[in-house]
Amino acid sequence: MAHDPIFGIGPHVLYRGGVEIATEFDAEKAGKEQEQALSLEVTYGLTGDWAVGIDLPYRFLKQKGDRNEGVGDLKLFTKYRFWRRDRLGLQESAAVLFKVVTDTADGSGTPRLDKDATDAILGLTYGYESRRWYRWASIRYRFNGRNDQAVDRGDRVLLDFVGGYRPRLTGYREPDTVWLLELNGEYGKRASLHGADLPDTGGTEWFLSPGLFWTKRNFAVKAGVQIPIYSDLNGNQHGSDYRARVVLEWHL
Amino acid sequence: MTKTSLVVSFLLLLAPSAWAAGKHYEMRVDGLACPYCAYGIEKKFKAIKGVEKIDVDLDKGLVTVDTDDQTVFTDQQMKKFFKDSGFTFRHMKITPR
Repeated sequence: MAHDPIFGIGPHVLYRGGVEIATEFDAEKAGKEQEQALSLEVTYGLTGDWAVGIDLPYRFLKQKGDRNEGVGDLKLFTKYRFWRRDRLGLQESAAVLFKVVTDTADGSGTPRLDKDATDAILGLTYGYESRRWYRWASIRYRFNGRNDQAVDRGDRVLLDFVGGYRPRLTGYREPDTVWLLELNGEYGKRASLHGADLPDTGGTEWFLSPGLFWTKRNFAVKAGVQIPIYSDLNGNQHGSDYRARVVLEWHL
Repeated sequence: MTKTSLVVSFLLLLAPSAWAAGKHYEMRVDGLACPYCAYGIEKKFKAIKGVEKIDVDLDKGLVTVDTDDQTVFTDQQMKKFFKDSGFTFRHMKITPR
């Protein structure tokens, strides 16, 4: 949302009555699995510190020669900025985020687009934004629901540390560029079935993610790539080869 | 038109109120770090009747607003306005245009 990191989260919300429309393109590859997703996200500013939104993806999957595409899970989210300290050309703030990943994806075809469970994500984030430098830190805990096959899919913890730099201090009506470098960590617990751990599930991955944030007035482009730098996945799993994201965003 | 009414009309034109073209507000606002984030301020001011021009100086933390004569902003209003926009209003200076 707004001037937040590309892969991590930040404390930005919207002005009261503001509407943000974002289209997002995601691509990732892990061994013989490839996925692309095109999402539409709409966010509304309830107050200057509280925003709500909805996110609807359309997914394209490819796994060992099989292809499938369709509507992904609808996501509903809210973010509340509970602390803010403003100084000249500087804003520090912290926010909590709550997101529900519903179980509404298209259930037909192979590979499966649906996960047969509803998940919830709870996040906490801090941001320091000055005219020149940016830094963010965040943690998210994803409660993964039990699916229809009685598999406990294993919760996930996501950690993000992000730095940003604006090389040229631009005026209000000028195009503005901020370079970002993110360190994103993901830890997944093993999935289990009737209390027994499933071997090829869970583990840890870390990514280094360079990115760019370009804006002109109420329009923004965000783009970044996640490059894996550490992988310790349980059992026989392919680590991520790469992930990429491009976001086009308008404030209305 | 008589000579007297011509003189009265001329004097009225010279009166300060006849020349007043509105007010210039210079507001000190904290938290302005990026142009994209400040857009909400412009949008919200534009929705107010009587506001004619808005500009933002990020480095000086200044929001300048030109209004017509009838539009009046108070400190209390601006505190709430900028809170709703996600920033902190400090103080303002009002001068005639």
